[in-house]
Amino acid sequence: MSNNDVSRRSFMVRTIIVIFAFIGASLGAALGGFGIIPALKKRETGWSDAGTVAELTVGQPQERRFSELVKSGWQSEKQDRTIWIVKKTDNSVVAYSSSCTHLGCGYRWVEAQQRFACPCHGSFFDINGTVLAGPAPRSLDTLPARVENNRLLVRYEVFQLGSSAKVRV
Amino acid sequence: MITTIIDWIDERTKIRSIWDFITNRPIPGGASWFYVLGSTLLFIFILQMLSGIFLALYYVPTPDHAYASVKYIQNEAFLGSLVRGMHHWGASFMMVLIALHMLRVFIFGSYKKPRELVWLLGIGLIGIVFGFAFTGYLLPWDQKAYWATVVGTNVAGTVPVVGGLLVKIMRGGAELGNLTLSRFHAIHTYILPWSLALLAGMHIFLLELAGAGGRWNPARNTPDKTEPLFPHQIFKDSIVILIVFLAITALAVLSPAGLEPQADPTDTTYNPRPEWYFYFVFQLLRIFEGRYEVIGTFILPTIAGMLLMLLPFVDRNPERAPAKRKLLMAIAAVTVVGVLGLTILGGMAPVPSVTAPSVLAGRLLYEKNGCSACHSIHAKGGAIGPDLTHVGSKRDRDWLIRHFKDPQAFSPGSIMPKTALPENELNELTDYMQSLK
Repeated sequence: MSNNDVSRRSFMVRTIIVIFAFIGASLGAALGGFGIIPALKKRETGWSDAGTVAELTVGQPQERRFSELVKSGWQSEKQDRTIWIVKKTDNSVVAYSSSCTHLGCGYRWVEAQQRFACPCHGSFFDINGTVLAGPAPRSLDTLPARVENNRLLVRYEVFQLGSSAKVRV
Repeated sequence: MITTIIDWIDERTKIRSIWDFITNRPIPGGASWFYVLGSTLLFIFILQMLSGIFLALYYVPTPDHAYASVKYIQNEAFLGSLVRGMHHWGASFMMVLIALHMLRVFIFGSYKKPRELVWLLGIGLIGIVFGFAFTGYLLPWDQKAYWATVVGTNVAGTVPVVGGLLVKIMRGGAELGNLTLSRFHAIHTYILPWSLALLAGMHIFLLELAGAGGRWNPARNTPDKTEPLFPHQIFKDSIVILIVFLAITALAVLSPAGLEPQADPTDTTYNPRPEWYFYFVFQLLRIFEGRYEVIGTFILPTIAGMLLMLLPFVDRNPERAPAKRKLLMAIAAVTVVGVLGLTILGGMAPVPSVTAPSVLAGRLLYEKNGCSACHSIHAKGGAIGPDLTHVGSKRDRDWLIRHFKDPQAFSPGSIMPKTALPENELNELTDYMQSLK
């Protein structure tokens, strides 16, 4: 085998490697981007009507449901939402996301104990959303809310859970 | 006739020599009941593939139709409950057997040179099986599926730095929805089966190349004790496979796979619990709180995975007898007891008794008696009768009970039928109404 043959052989080997490395890298980047990038889009939110504030009593949280139109990939669909609303002594109204800040289970108000309880890993919150016990890393997440013509308007937002910082996703 | 056909094929493919090569594969020290676990796992994988493919004949992976299609499989399709039940119980058996298989290999020291790569592939296979369990869970789109996946994906969110990104990539967006379902479906039915087939194929092929380990005492692996794979070992394998198959079938018939009400993201009364094989993770989440959470969700599982992967490279002493590897045996025992203990504790974890049982019973009565055909609660239900969302703050108990018994006496011209429920059920329904404030 002459030197010429060796360099010819190594040229072919290198070319084969480069061709498949190129195909692998570009296909990997394209498929990875296709699978991941759409998932990172921030969700768009609008104001939703969460009902009247006339029926609220101070110190008695109410669960409210409403639906909003959400665009999710190819689908625009009506999505049902739950929030908890609390009337404060100064007559202001606070709206809480219904996801426990630990790992997202739906929590509920326990009248007898005057606190919110999460059924999953045993987190408890007082009426102001402050953590009383359990693994929840931060207070309940408040949602942007305003009162107009005696109706409560809420912007339903989603936050990253399980961390002490409240970060919108 | 058959011989002629095989001869014809053999002339072109040397199939007889391939068959001989595989079936005469030597089992050092002879066949053993301890070696049946790997082939039983292979059998369950095939069973899961077959039952899964047939489930896909009816299953539709969109939030609009997933639940209804699974309900159809479960309640209407001919033998649907059996096929789904086998897939469901097959998953549980796979979990148990893969744990036993790993434990067997660990105790026998079979992961040692020259089988380190076989062990590594095995760790990869365990990861894939957990991936199957986690993604399979969501597909029925019932309450359990939905909430377990909410929690499960949020667990990934506690991974330092990249957690948030990870959750979004897993869910296909900020929230659990149609994109999550199609993603989990694609992973469960395309990505993982192919990955498992590839890794399991390599696992078996590399074991073939390295040779089976046999008994831990080399003195017992003498040529005179060696037996061929077929029929000696395959016979034992077949017996256990038959028992496992019968057990899975019996469980599928006697204890069919559950199907809870359709996923309701707005339900704050549901008490989410994972499938039993995730109870130990669930319990870890209850133990590590606040900033220590990441220990249970990320650090411990990562360390465990790393240790398992490093095991054959750290433990390079060729000694395989358990009696001479006391420290490792102790670690294994502690781990087994620990995982079992966490699983049992997780299974017994109390649910905060925040909703009175009678309220829950009343809620079920409301659903069962079709009240929602006319009335709506939180914008769900008919519009013929009054909205009951806040009925508890409008009517007292006495009014509600008397109204149930004779609606027309209170609302002349009302078309609501008189409620003919026994006294205790009437009380439960009233408790539910009163809880709506």
